[in-house]
Amino acid sequence: MTPLITIENLAVELQSKLILSQVDLSLSKGEILGLVGPSGCGKTTLLSTLAGFIGQSTGSIEINTGDKLIKITLDDMLPPEQRNIGMIFQDYALFPHLTVTENICFGLKKITKVEQAQRCEELLTLLELNELAQRYPHQLSGGQQQRVAIARALAPQPSLLLLDEPFSNIDARLRNELMIEIRQLLKRLEITAIFVTHNKDEVFTFADKIAVMHQGQVLQVGAPALVCQQPNSWQVADFLQLGSWLPVMFSATENSLALSSLIGALAPHRIKNIGACKNAVLTNFQLLVKPSDIVLSSHEANNVIIEHIGVTEQGYHYLLSSLEQNTTLAFSQLSFYSQELFMLGAELAIQLKGEHFLLYPT
Amino acid sequence: MLNKIWFSTLVFVALIGANFNTLANDEVNVYSYRQPFLVKPLFDEFSKETGIKVNVVFAKKGMAERLAREGEYSPADILLTTDISRLIELHDKGLLQPATSSEMTAAIPAQFKASDDTWYALTTRVRNIYSAKRLGKIAFNYEDLADDKWQGKICTRSGKHPYNVALVASMIAEHGEADTLTWLQKVKANLARKPQGSDRAQVQAIHQNLCDISLGNSYYFGNMLKDEKQKVWADAVYINFPNQNNRGAHINISGMAMAKYAPNKTNALALMNFLVSEEAQEMYAETNMEYPVRPGVKASKLVASWGEFKADALSLETIAKQRKAALILLDKAQFDL
Amino acid sequence: MAPIVVMLFASINVSSDLFAHLWSTVLPEYIRNTLGLGILVALLSLCFGVPAAAIISQTNIVMGKQLRWLLMLPLAMPAYLVAYLYTDLFDYAGPVQRVLRAWFDWHSPNDYYFFDIRTLGGAAIVIAFVLFPYVYMLTRTALEQQDRNLLRASRLLGCTERQSFYQIALPLARPAIAVSLALVTMETLADFATVQYFAVNTLTTAIYDTWLGYGDFAAANALASVLMLFILFVVVAEQRARAGQRHQSSRPNTEHQRKQLSLIQQILASMFCWFLVFAGFLLPIILLLNMAIDYADYQQFTALIETGKNSIKIATYSATIATLIALTLALFQRLHQSRGRMIPVQISGFGYAIPGTVLAMAMLATFGPLDHVINDVAKAFDFKAPGLILSGTVFAIVFAFIVRFSAIANGTINAGIGQIPKSLDLAPASLGVKTLPALFRVHLPLLKSSILVAWLLVFVEAMKELPAVLLLRPFNFETLSTQIYQLISDERLEQGALGAILIVLFGLLPIIFLNRQKDSK
Repeated sequence: MTPLITIENLAVELQSKLILSQVDLSLSKGEILGLVGPSGCGKTTLLSTLAGFIGQSTGSIEINTGDKLIKITLDDMLPPEQRNIGMIFQDYALFPHLTVTENICFGLKKITKVEQAQRCEELLTLLELNELAQRYPHQLSGGQQQRVAIARALAPQPSLLLLDEPFSNIDARLRNELMIEIRQLLKRLEITAIFVTHNKDEVFTFADKIAVMHQGQVLQVGAPALVCQQPNSWQVADFLQLGSWLPVMFSATENSLALSSLIGALAPHRIKNIGACKNAVLTNFQLLVKPSDIVLSSHEANNVIIEHIGVTEQGYHYLLSSLEQNTTLAFSQLSFYSQELFMLGAELAIQLKGEHFLLYPT
Repeated sequence: MLNKIWFSTLVFVALIGANFNTLANDEVNVYSYRQPFLVKPLFDEFSKETGIKVNVVFAKKGMAERLAREGEYSPADILLTTDISRLIELHDKGLLQPATSSEMTAAIPAQFKASDDTWYALTTRVRNIYSAKRLGKIAFNYEDLADDKWQGKICTRSGKHPYNVALVASMIAEHGEADTLTWLQKVKANLARKPQGSDRAQVQAIHQNLCDISLGNSYYFGNMLKDEKQKVWADAVYINFPNQNNRGAHINISGMAMAKYAPNKTNALALMNFLVSEEAQEMYAETNMEYPVRPGVKASKLVASWGEFKADALSLETIAKQRKAALILLDKAQFDL
Repeated sequence: MAPIVVMLFASINVSSDLFAHLWSTVLPEYIRNTLGLGILVALLSLCFGVPAAAIISQTNIVMGKQLRWLLMLPLAMPAYLVAYLYTDLFDYAGPVQRVLRAWFDWHSPNDYYFFDIRTLGGAAIVIAFVLFPYVYMLTRTALEQQDRNLLRASRLLGCTERQSFYQIALPLARPAIAVSLALVTMETLADFATVQYFAVNTLTTAIYDTWLGYGDFAAANALASVLMLFILFVVVAEQRARAGQRHQSSRPNTEHQRKQLSLIQQILASMFCWFLVFAGFLLPIILLLNMAIDYADYQQFTALIETGKNSIKIATYSATIATLIALTLALFQRLHQSRGRMIPVQISGFGYAIPGTVLAMAMLATFGPLDHVINDVAKAFDFKAPGLILSGTVFAIVFAFIVRFSAIANGTINAGIGQIPKSLDLAPASLGVKTLPALFRVHLPLLKSSILVAWLLVFVEAMKELPAVLLLRPFNFETLSTQIYQLISDERLEQGALGAILIVLFGLLPIIFLNRQKDSK
């Protein structure tokens, strides 16, 4: 199956600053991609480039609508209106001088009035907006405005839908419900979509695929579960908040390598991606430690102190700092869960357990 | 910050307060319809002779209204006007008071002052007809302006201008309202362009061949001759005194009056006496190329060179009485439209 | 406010005779002219201002940065001055037609056709040359501050650049265009001196006729009230146009891509913009400079300093007080949300639409009696009568200016206050700061530039204003505008050219300031 959209080696330069570089992505029809990354990583720029608001400096974008191939290259940067792409803006960008119906019909110029009315009616029903058809945007609530924005974007039947932080203005309690509702709608209509967010939970609920961006580059793309299991860089793991970081150091003992940290040593075989790290010339690494990887130790001396206590459904959540703070291996904010209640400032002895650790150079 | 704002507010109030006129006693206050540059040399001379300071405020529109509103607290002593109807308006509104002195009685002929001594004329000016030199010398009557042969040849300023209103009023006094309306309509039909600009602009238009004849006051001719740029315009026209074979040319006056509530009466009378003196009459007539009213005072050489003329003997008060009727006729004839 | 009420009150005793006479003779024509002039000037300003705003804000026109502020310069020109210069220039006897006649050996008006500047059309064009910057300025700002995403959305929905301009950008700028047109219409309707040079008779002419000619104050007031009704209509229409559109832009369209013009488009756009700059500013200023060079002498210069000082003095008072009042009103409204709160500002807006002379009349009608009371009271207590401390001093002029120009100050300050988030009203209280200190520590610093702009705008308008000063000024008090007016009315503008240039230079101040402020943002 040929992908619906293929992005190859895309780079964007604005005011002689490289905002995006070496972006390669492809999506099949009906797939929803969640684009995440810290703010300023270039994810909104990528959307703008796809939409045609910003021109790329290298690379190409191909959109295969089924009937025709839309190629956007350096020589032929199609204007936004010829790309067959729809977009839902963070603030919805509804035209304030037009009613709901007029907003929805805005992109329907190429079909007859009767067809327009029909399409509009369908969308109004689909998004349960019939009651509001003659209202103006400022007379609608945030959720209603978003539904209008969706209807408007869907009306011209775009081959690709872009969503720029679509849920950030929605009440947290409604958000999950709405995301599921919209995901079902997109799936039903078999719409390919790329959406941008800085909230990883949204991606897990909404997207089929996740792409993590950092400093203008796409670090990793894949199914959310896969990416979570095998993040390919510490930036990915860090952004997805898969665990906390423990500084470690390779220490050469007689004939084998071992990793030392302030809470004990670790044999290399317990590290899943040891192969990738062995070749690194660095000596300082960060170990990804999930809360379940830490247990209380009965034979070690106290090595950490409790800095913060939180209550969760999984028991008490402690943030720990190393007692020793004057070495490069010192750490703070190490997460640890326990059913047992300790005092703030209490000193504990902990050790690592488990086999499948991930190690990343810093 | 708060203190600063309060302080600046106070300063402003104080500054505005400082502008209030505190009028001393060796002063005389003049409300003038006349341009300051025309009267200033006279006042300077007066101050030099008497040590009385002359304060002037000049305005064309709304002076009477201001005076009326100010009422008994008005600072105005003397009013200077450029047109008889203004004087009569002030008189009719009861804003003037009689003023007499032996000097004024001796200097101003009865014809040029109010019967109740409330106002005095200072100079006279003729409403002339200017004609292009290329037409040769022609003897005009105002009535001739309605003649078909001037179709598209006449230029004039707005009919509503006081000088034209006074002329129309004199026509009403002479011919009655109905005939004057017909005359106005015919003149209107003869106009080369919509009434516009000043009296000088009409002479300029003649110079530029836009029209052949125009209405204009006599002194403009002299003033144009004195102006480097405008001399060529004046050189293109003859100044004609109309109706010399019958009632005589329509004349208007510039004049003075004492305000009803004049606070500096003595000084005001001194100024009035000065303005009718031979010396002042000569200067006044000279600066604006007008005819002095005081018998025996000669007009300037230039003015005299235009020759003797016969003036309409119609009393100025009669003309002023027809003013409103004249305005109504001008509206009826849609003269300015 | 009071003077307007007094004026309306005085119009109740209108004599029906005079009205019937006027109605049967000239009034219909006057009204036709007034409406015609208002509509024509509004249309022309629209045709000049909106394309200029679009070109400057949306395209890559050559020298766009310079044209941006050059197009505002005509605002510095008093309309009566430009009117005089233009009528003089294009008149039959004016230099243009003289040169043409000399070149082509024409002798009389029958030999050729030349447009007549002294017509309704001529007046409308020249007035529009001076007033279009209002439309240009407000429309350009509106276009530049539009939400970028709205335009992007329209592009994605299939609009080309051009379509999205016409279907989204322009409709969204409509409120701004409406406001500016209302301003332009008000200025036009209230104008007297300008139309006079064009020999176009409007309702203002009728007001002067009835008042000065027929001496009927009541009828004049009645006519002035009719004029106010027209203005009221304009104001209401403007507010209707804005109703229901309360879209505040969250991300100004600053970094959008400008349309790249083709060579021919570039040439046409440049010609259009430069023509406006030339007609509205360069040509008049060149004419003035020419006169000034020919006629200037030292004596004139010293006299100029004296009158200039007077001008600056009253302009400073007026600007300061009008700004303070506007500020107080605006802050009061902001903090006391009640239904009636908008009314005072809306009414004070009418002041702008009252012809200066009518306003002066109203001032006299109001302060005259007040002065009498003051004097009577003073006398009753055996003090020396203080004289006309209200109607006979600078006070009356300053007051008239404040009534007339408070609309400008209010508008500017209200716009500035609208930009302050409402949460900032509440934040100081949460920090334990009382309302009044909060105003000084939070709102005033934030409003600093709005305050300055309001001050400058009123200052310049006050420098230019003529009829009210003419009528209300005290003894021996000349301002630049009255001096120029006297010289113009005597056809001796040449000698006042220097003063005229001075007024224009002062008029440039706020424009330069506004421009610098924009740049620094």
